[in-house]
Amino acid sequence: MKKILRSLLFIVCFAPLSLWAQDDPTLIVSTKKQVMVGERFQVVFEANAEGKNFQAPTFNGFTVLGGPFTSSSSSFSMVNGSMSHTVKNSYTFALQANQEGTFHIGSASLNVKGTKVNSEPFDIKVIPDDGSHAAPTGGSGSNNQGQSQQNTNDPQVSGKDLFLRVIPSKKSAYVGEQIVLTYKLYTKVPVSSVSMSKMPSYAGFWTKDISDNSGTLRQSSEYINGIEYTSAEVNKVIIVPQRSGKLMLDPMTLECVAQVRTERNNSRSMDPFDVFFNDPFFNRNIVNVKKELTSQTINLEVKNLPENGKPASFAGAVGNYNFKSDIDKTELSTNEAVTITLTVSGTGNVELLQMPTPVFPPDFEVYDPKITTSTDVSSQGLTGTKKAEYLAIPRRAGSFTIPAIEFSYFNPSNESYQTLSSEPYEIQVEKGTGSDEGGGIFASNQEDIKYLGSDIRHIMTGNAHLKPMHSVFFGSAAYYVALLVLLALFVVLLFVLKKREQLTQDTAANRNRKADKVARGRLKNAYQHLKAKDQEKFYVEMSQALWGYIADKLGIERSKLSMDTVSETMKSKNVPDELTQQFIDTLNSCEFARFAPGSAEEKMDDLYQRGIDVISKAEKVL
Amino acid sequence: MKRYTLLILVTFFSFAGRAQQGANDWFEQANAAYNMGNYDSARIVYEKILATEVESVPLYLNLGNTYYKMHEYPMAIYYYEKALKLDPSNEDVQTNLAIANHAIVDKIEPVPQSFIVRGWRNARASLSGDQWAWCSIVFFALLLVSVFLFMRSRKMGVRKLGFFAGIVFLLAFVLSVIFAAQLKHASEIQDQAIIMAPTVTVKSSPNEASVDLFVLHEGTKVTVLETSNGWNKVKIANGSVGWLEVDKMLSF
Repeated sequence: MKKILRSLLFIVCFAPLSLWAQDDPTLIVSTKKQVMVGERFQVVFEANAEGKNFQAPTFNGFTVLGGPFTSSSSSFSMVNGSMSHTVKNSYTFALQANQEGTFHIGSASLNVKGTKVNSEPFDIKVIPDDGSHAAPTGGSGSNNQGQSQQNTNDPQVSGKDLFLRVIPSKKSAYVGEQIVLTYKLYTKVPVSSVSMSKMPSYAGFWTKDISDNSGTLRQSSEYINGIEYTSAEVNKVIIVPQRSGKLMLDPMTLECVAQVRTERNNSRSMDPFDVFFNDPFFNRNIVNVKKELTSQTINLEVKNLPENGKPASFAGAVGNYNFKSDIDKTELSTNEAVTITLTVSGTGNVELLQMPTPVFPPDFEVYDPKITTSTDVSSQGLTGTKKAEYLAIPRRAGSFTIPAIEFSYFNPSNESYQTLSSEPYEIQVEKGTGSDEGGGIFASNQEDIKYLGSDIRHIMTGNAHLKPMHSVFFGSAAYYVALLVLLALFVVLLFVLKKREQLTQDTAANRNRKADKVARGRLKNAYQHLKAKDQEKFYVEMSQALWGYIADKLGIERSKLSMDTVSETMKSKNVPDELTQQFIDTLNSCEFARFAPGSAEEKMDDLYQRGIDVISKAEKVL
Repeated sequence: MKRYTLLILVTFFSFAGRAQQGANDWFEQANAAYNMGNYDSARIVYEKILATEVESVPLYLNLGNTYYKMHEYPMAIYYYEKALKLDPSNEDVQTNLAIANHAIVDKIEPVPQSFIVRGWRNARASLSGDQWAWCSIVFFALLLVSVFLFMRSRKMGVRKLGFFAGIVFLLAFVLSVIFAAQLKHASEIQDQAIIMAPTVTVKSSPNEASVDLFVLHEGTKVTVLETSNGWNKVKIANGSVGWLEVDKMLSF
């Protein structure tokens, strides 16, 4: 812009001089030969004569912002008596370059007193934008538009003098690995205030602002491409990617006010007062220029954590950590609290760290852990300590084991997983004097069995009890042999007993058992004799039946057999007196009839019946 | 003659004993592998034991458990069922079979059995076939003792006792013989099968072109009613009947 102003100045000041030298009508073009894309510039056609019908060339590749603005001036001068009349007509176009390249502009024409005057065709080279005209061109937003209008005639702050940069600590990271973003303001002009107008959204990141909020910006000087800049850290943010892939960071927009010394009046006026009072020494000819700065967009490559070698206890921690576990006591009584303190410290995203959980035995009442986090910011990013206190109360006595607690993390510096583990704790719980005792009410200590899971029953160990396939015991030879052996044993036993009985037939026991049979045999014979009316033989049989029966039954030897021994023995065997008497009576009447024959037939019959009667009665008792 | 018999017997038992010893060592090895979680090697060793034509409830149960742990439920059910055939009363096998049956796709409501049939089956299942055989021997012995008492006792009470006990033991002997015979029959005929193919379609007749009746999945137990031309007529627990290719199931 300054250049444009200068060229205008040049035209205004010196163009009339050239007109004096020649009177032929001319049409002269003055413009910049080289502009940047988006830059605004002017093309001025100047004629030294009054003309009509100005025809402008076509400005291919440019946008005509305005024009032709015409202006004319005429002057008369007397030099050494000769008077000259000078006419100056100018046609000005405001153009803006749209695209890169070299553009040919044709000639303009003007009709001067019937003759057509043409200007020289010319070329304009449009070069890529270096950002220096960003603010003044101001096509990007209404905000900017207002600003540019406000400062239309003010000097501008170039993008080379004041810009914002974001510097990530690394361009590629693992999920969960922290990246430090530093926003730095570089300037060559004094900056009076800085305010953030738009923060990036940081989609896909966990962020923590770690900028120093003391209010003052720490300044230092830095060289970029050999040019010295004053730099200041505007903002510092730790970002932790939460997902993998190519993540884009939005730019940050900053509004700052730069103080620029103006020179406008120098160019416009030759008034010495103005010059004097516009001197910066006297007049603060400094303009506050509001400028919006935008940092560059950054693409970060976020890698997934390797699946290979991921430990089971890994819960997403990335960084470099130490792990410590403490227990306050290992010997306690029931209903007394035990605390396990787990401490993880190191570099990494401590705030999002998931603490490992100790596995308490099921009989422990476990409370939610108390977690405290303290963080600190260092050059590597976030460091800190996370502490989790697990409080548990054993409700039953016994000895318990809390298995070793493992903490795993991924170390991005050597790209590997690390697992740290504590010692397992043996806890001895004694029966305490808890609330179970005391009081009048008997509180039962019983509780239902807690089922923790279900599974198939375990395999059978020990003896396999293997046997050949399809070897069923039933129906096998062994089975029949077993049955036959039993049967044979039975038969053999019976046989042996029978033999032994025959051998010991005369023994008292045998006699006893056979007594009834023998007596009945004799009585049968007696009956035969009764039928045959053979008195003598009948009485002999009857007598022998009765005496034999009672001798066998009572085990009395024949030699000692008498009425007295019979009655005595019967008494000693607790036979009822009535039966004894009856038996003795029957014996007596039998003996009497035997030795005093001639009694009636009825008597024989009666005796026979009485004999049968007493024997069957005695059989029941003895 | 007697000496020779003895010699043969001794040799036989020593051979059997040695084979038994090797199989028992393998059994220990396989159990150790199972306990370590090496189910595949445990399976290989258990099946090596089976290949020597021996069987037992622990062997089948452990092999079934191994398959269960390898999530091959049809094979697990197959071996549990085999174990139950040897000893229907084994509680471990019953439990594991019930759990394995929960892991398969098909859930079939069995046809309710009458009280008498259920009672008969439960009574039969309370002991294994060999145990029933031993029971019958014991009852036979007790029967003989009762008869002996009845025949030889001089005391009327004892004789009466012998008489009634004899009747009871005779009934018990007959019942245990029937149970043992039934179990022996069941172990000899292979009328049960487990579906091994993941999904099978039961057909209305033994050919591919016949009507699809219903779909069964692996692990379901079927009863084989008859076999014809590589097809089995099967009946499932709810009473449905159809035809299936023989190679889609494993009989036992």
